[in-house]
Amino acid sequence: MRIAEVIGKVVLSRAHPSLKGARFVIAAPMPKEALVAGSRLRGEEVIAYDDLGASPGDRIGLSEGGEAANPFGKDVKPVDAYCACLIDQIHCS
Amino acid sequence: MQLGVVIGTATSTVKHKTFQGERLLVVQLLTSEGGDDGEPVLAFDRLGAGRGETVMLTNDGKILQEMIGRDTPGRWSVLGLPNI
Repeated sequence: MRIAEVIGKVVLSRAHPSLKGARFVIAAPMPKEALVAGSRLRGEEVIAYDDLGASPGDRIGLSEGGEAANPFGKDVKPVDAYCACLIDQIHCS
Repeated sequence: MQLGVVIGTATSTVKHKTFQGERLLVVQLLTSEGGDDGEPVLAFDRLGAGRGETVMLTNDGKILQEMIGRDTPGRWSVLGLPNI
């Protein structure tokens, strides 16, 4: 799980049936310089499935790969990036 | 398994249910030469690692699933505190 800053939302006009009503956010991963020194540097954006109501400016735990589909269990969805938590505070040095 | 350095801690109230009560560390993974390996990750820690400490991490989701829940979206967890 990387730490990412939400920079936008995605609304789907047509999608896979299992993604009906799903919310997606645009998440920009944060490198060490951003977490420790507050730099504006961000990694390549990822579109993540969001159940928690993240909004632009929030920092989230971005789960990727196989783990991103874990929360859905048997209800298989084509999801490989998932917003796992909204981060309140990060104390980095 | 991989070594990493704890560069901070993170707190979260709105989160996946399997994260309830778990401690989240911000860890910078290290390459074998000791350089930074990718962006920092959030790792689950039950061993009480402190900031600046070197930790041994596993990215085996199965271990974490047994610890905190089969449907967890988490992956990295602290497996040991090596004294280097």
